[in-house]
Amino acid sequence: MATPSLRGRLVRLGNPRKPVLKPNKPLILADRVGNRRREKGEATCITEMSVMMACWKQHEFRDEACRKEIQDFFDCASRAQEARRMRSIQESLGQSGSLPPHKMNKLLNKFPNKPHLS
Amino acid sequence: MAARTVWAAGRCSEQAGAVNRAVRRLPGLTQVRWSRYGPEFRDPLTDKGHCRKPAAELTEEEKYDQDLGKTQLIKAAPAAQTCSAFADPVISKSTNMMMKGGSKVLARSLMAQTLEAVERKQFEKYHAASAEEQATIERNPYTIFHQALKNCEPVIGLVPILKGGHFYQVPVPLSDRRRRFLAMKWMIKDCRENKPRRTLMPEKLSYELLEAFANKGPVIKRKHDMHKMAEANRALAHYRWW
Repeated sequence: MATPSLRGRLVRLGNPRKPVLKPNKPLILADRVGNRRREKGEATCITEMSVMMACWKQHEFRDEACRKEIQDFFDCASRAQEARRMRSIQESLGQSGSLPPHKMNKLLNKFPNKPHLS
Repeated sequence: MAARTVWAAGRCSEQAGAVNRAVRRLPGLTQVRWSRYGPEFRDPLTDKGHCRKPAAELTEEEKYDQDLGKTQLIKAAPAAQTCSAFADPVISKSTNMMMKGGSKVLARSLMAQTLEAVERKQFEKYHAASAEEQATIERNPYTIFHQALKNCEPVIGLVPILKGGHFYQVPVPLSDRRRRFLAMKWMIKDCRENKPRRTLMPEKLSYELLEAFANKGPVIKRKHDMHKMAEANRALAHYRWW
């Protein structure tokens, strides 16, 4: 879809119609982009946690009786943390195609938009 | 050993931007306490064995590292870092946590007195016990310290998460570091608060350590309370997003 047109939308001396748009800020491109919406992940290691808690209930919260389940839970937690770290590194390296928002802002600050002519 | 950086909320200053470019920037936070060392400074090595290896045994990487060390700038080693065989990272960390107002001398002496008290109590028990029991009594204060703290570590933690205008205590897995910290913190806090008047810290701490070693005592109880609360709130685990 092409960019919507601005012709005849604002209050101007040459415009006979009533205005369609009434912007509260000047329509000038800013030197920054908005932050990317981060997808909300889901909770990890729920199954290991529930297995461990079932074991606890059975053995009155004694840790010696539930060593295996606790170890599984720890392994799952460390794996999940590693995966999260890898994902965050991947994101900071760059999105597929474009730069991440903070790098894009740095680039735009080097070449600011000129609302004036000289 | 990576240097810890301290952050505070505030506008980024130029000075903050110039120093430590290698450190990852957190949005909206300025570094307030940083080291005076630039990024070119390397961490000090306190490993005697590293320097005494004959040149033939070194791999390519180690040789390069050693040559680099001759020309590169190195940070000064902190006073608490030693190459001594008696230096124990767990003991050092607990000493630092017990320290108040920067008086490391006092904290270290308290820790030494605690370990001595633990050893004395165990020796008394040993000499009073029969031959079969003597085999089971542990007399090394360092093993008792480590085992006691390991017994006090919680397996799962609770984090307050805001949902629908209310804070819910959600069970969440903890990292190793956090678990060790919580064990030490609970131990020290319990010894400071719940003790009869005019009991000294070494006395109380040695008693608590021996109890924790035997899986009894208030710190273990606190750990179990945490576990029970996590078990009660297990339905809220889906409020987590990590």
